[in-house]
Amino acid sequence: MMNPTIELDRLEVQLGGRTILHGLTGVLKSRAIGLLGPNGAGKSTLINTLLGFHSPSKGSVRVLGLDSHANGKALRSLVGYMPENDAFISKMSGVRFVRYMAEISGLPPNQAMERAHEAFVYVGLGEARYRPVGTYSLGMKQLAKFAQAIAHGPQVLILDEPTNGMDPPARKRLIELIREIREASDICLLLSSHLLRDVEETCDEVLILRNGQIASICNLVDERRANRKFLELETIGAEQTFTSALEGLGCECAVFSNGRIKVVMPDRVEIKEVFKVAADRGVQIRRMNHRRDSLEDIFLNAMEQTGVADGRI
Amino acid sequence: MAVYKRRYNSYTGALSPEWSRFFVLTRYAFAELFKSRFFVILLILSLVPSLFFAGYIFIANNKTAQLLMQLRSAGLFAVETQYFMVIMIVQTQLAFLLNCWVGPVLIAGDLTNGALPLFLSRPFSRADYVLGKLAVLGLLLSAVTWVPCLLLFSLQGGLARNGWIWSHFWMVIPIVFCSAIWILMLSLLSLAVSAWVKLRIVATGVIFISFFVPTGIGEMFNAIMGTYWGRLLNFSDMFRLILVKGFRERSGPLGQFGSNEIPVAAAWGVLILVCVLSLVILNARLRAREAVRG
Repeated sequence: MMNPTIELDRLEVQLGGRTILHGLTGVLKSRAIGLLGPNGAGKSTLINTLLGFHSPSKGSVRVLGLDSHANGKALRSLVGYMPENDAFISKMSGVRFVRYMAEISGLPPNQAMERAHEAFVYVGLGEARYRPVGTYSLGMKQLAKFAQAIAHGPQVLILDEPTNGMDPPARKRLIELIREIREASDICLLLSSHLLRDVEETCDEVLILRNGQIASICNLVDERRANRKFLELETIGAEQTFTSALEGLGCECAVFSNGRIKVVMPDRVEIKEVFKVAADRGVQIRRMNHRRDSLEDIFLNAMEQTGVADGRI
Repeated sequence: MAVYKRRYNSYTGALSPEWSRFFVLTRYAFAELFKSRFFVILLILSLVPSLFFAGYIFIANNKTAQLLMQLRSAGLFAVETQYFMVIMIVQTQLAFLLNCWVGPVLIAGDLTNGALPLFLSRPFSRADYVLGKLAVLGLLLSAVTWVPCLLLFSLQGGLARNGWIWSHFWMVIPIVFCSAIWILMLSLLSLAVSAWVKLRIVATGVIFISFFVPTGIGEMFNAIMGTYWGRLLNFSDMFRLILVKGFRERSGPLGQFGSNEIPVAAAWGVLILVCVLSLVILNARLRAREAVRG
């Protein structure tokens, strides 16, 4: 049986005498996990703990079954990490920098050189690969950091605010690359970002942190599927026969005043069948709201909760 | 992930042994160093005295050369322990200068732009990192201290004959061990400074200060307290004391060690203490992330 991607077991991390993460417990099984939370929520601390930069004061965290503290080296051999802040060697050329990092990850020099070139071309910096990294623009530095994170072919890709400082086309390109990597390989992705759209476009599951605690763990795939079933209708002429016909299709209906009907559809029923039933019975559908919670709704709900969620929403 | 396909593929090839990966840092550091002409000139100049020492050994052992140069054997400085102590002192001082140029850039370059998390997020520990950087200075300073000294020792042994090399073979131990403690102390000290001070010129200044200021404080302490223990803060002097004792001599070529001499164990202790303090600084500074207190 495959290990969960991330397992948090009462994880507590203290830094400088302050508790930053308060007993996080949860299991994240998806291959692409988003990490969300306001500033100071503990996102970077959690990533640093995963990488073994901080030791848990209590509890543990496992990635693909490997404990971040006890099996730190084994875990880091699987990881490609793109930090949030500047991280490069300014005098080195881009391709040499990526080769250097790949060699430290264990690739032999020739292989490291080959993959450094490939990674640079792949992220779209092929023309700039011989320039010193210190001369790159902010967006190019982000791409160089991304290249060094993927050059050694990791099994777990940890990206901390990957689109920071990027203009919209560059951001779009990077998000496309992340999705492509996710789909083309069995790599596991952990993406921390302030931009909900980045997470929504790349991740299947979201861990939302607030004040060092889990505000919510949400499976976006399930959420999207659930939202697709839910309809709000405003009708004229709808009678008992209309709702009965919908119930005959397997829908659940709730009728309100002024012709408002809420419908929960089973997976097999398409919206066009609702239109057909309405047309057969001369019912006018004046308004249809195919309601879907966006990640923003989920995030804001999580932030509004007063207590701490200990499970899925 | 072939270039022409422009798509991602994970790596499934062979990996280098984990124990050898620290040497990647050493290799890249040497490649960067040898790009600097000043460094190459400094390295060559550091080896020039060894050529003169070799020339002297050749003349001291060659009657024909002495006749041609109208020198008398009795007037020549004997190639014995004192001669090798001079070589060691000259070469270790040159090693100090070389260390002042090379040491400050080794770690500062990685810290300036926050590259340390990239190293430490790989299967690569802080110990591996320090070892990789230490190997740069270790190899470099060895090349100007005990390596030329042993080559000169071998040259003298080959030219003197009559079993000279076997009767003086014990000198190999002080040559290697005295060089080793000096190299270790210099390397760790300059790495600690490099981890603390990012600007090269300032870091070089700090290394000089860390040698000369304690010496001055020690001398003041001696003058005020009427003691000689302040000499413990003179690291060069402590190294010279270890060297003299290692070569089984009472006095060094640059001065007499009198009756109020510091015990050699204390001299070793001071140099080891500098190494330990440097490691403490490195341990504090070389972290992927800093914990903010408060």
